[in-house]
Amino acid sequence: MEQTGFTMPHRVALLALSVLLLAVILELVRRGRFKERYALLWLASALFGLVVGVFPGIIVWIARILHVQFLTVVFGLAFVFFLGLILSFCVVISQLSEQNRELAQGLALLANRVKTLEDTDTDAGA
Amino acid sequence: MSRVLVIIPAFNETQTIAHVVASLKEHAPECDVLVVDDGSMDNTVAIVAGLEGVILVQLPFNLGIGAAMQTGFRYALRNGYDIAVQCDGDGQHPVERLGDLVRHVEQGDADLIIGSRYVADTGYVPSAGRRLGKSILSRLVDAIVGGGITDTTSGFRAANRRVISVFARHYPEDYPEPESLVILHKHGLTVAETPVEMHPRQGGATSIDPKNAAYYMIKVGLAILIDVFRKFSREP
Repeated sequence: MEQTGFTMPHRVALLALSVLLLAVILELVRRGRFKERYALLWLASALFGLVVGVFPGIIVWIARILHVQFLTVVFGLAFVFFLGLILSFCVVISQLSEQNRELAQGLALLANRVKTLEDTDTDAGA
Repeated sequence: MSRVLVIIPAFNETQTIAHVVASLKEHAPECDVLVVDDGSMDNTVAIVAGLEGVILVQLPFNLGIGAAMQTGFRYALRNGYDIAVQCDGDGQHPVERLGDLVRHVEQGDADLIIGSRYVADTGYVPSAGRRLGKSILSRLVDAIVGGGITDTTSGFRAANRRVISVFARHYPEDYPEPESLVILHKHGLTVAETPVEMHPRQGGATSIDPKNAAYYMIKVGLAILIDVFRKFSREP
């Protein structure tokens, strides 16, 4: 067995954290506080954590192929994951901003129309 | 005499929307017709605005079939309709059978009546990818809801007031039909099927392609499993 520094206590901690993450995400979705489409990515990550905790050989294999240390692969994967996640957030925020602008403008124009109609009504009644 | 609203969510259905509306006027003249425009970028809105006796609600941007349909249910709830019928704007739904769906709801056979492609042998065969995804989802939904529902993705459905009230508050986003059945089940409402034959799509493009299919199946499957454990607040 290679010297990875990834011993049993580490593996148990990873498994526990993965299960905790899984539970938290599922509960948030269950309560309607977390949309399913965003949950999928997190759930896949929790699953990945579980798999690595049970089969650390996967990471060892990747480390060997890339000629880097075990820990490097771990941090590298984590970095890529968070990079992708934040990137996707920016995309979502951009879309929400656009929609927000559309709603705000539409609302302002609608209020103006209502006011015009009300004024017309008042004029007609007077 | 029940007040019936036919809800047609429309996204870029220039080619077919006028035909669908005309078909409804012919086969179900006593029903009100509501078209919910889901941010169409083609002539759909202009065409609908020019049609007689059609209610048009325009969403300010595209929100997806689930949100568009829910808008229809909210309209139905606000305006006190007894029955709401969901109908696609692409001409696939057999409008001539609409009366049957409504009749079953009026008779109280179930709270939601689904026009099903699979109950009777109508010779309908979807693509292999869709079949696999649908069958897994269908079995899951049927296992949860019971009642031997075979066509869980059919969008041709008639709903009574209680269903309208639930869907106005809770309606799923993408690929909403299977999950919506589970939501109804969680509210203690019943679902039944009646056989119909769908027409082939008469124009426009399908919204789910093979690339998306796997993603949607997983997402919807997950949502359904989680819904089983949800606490939905019941209407007082």
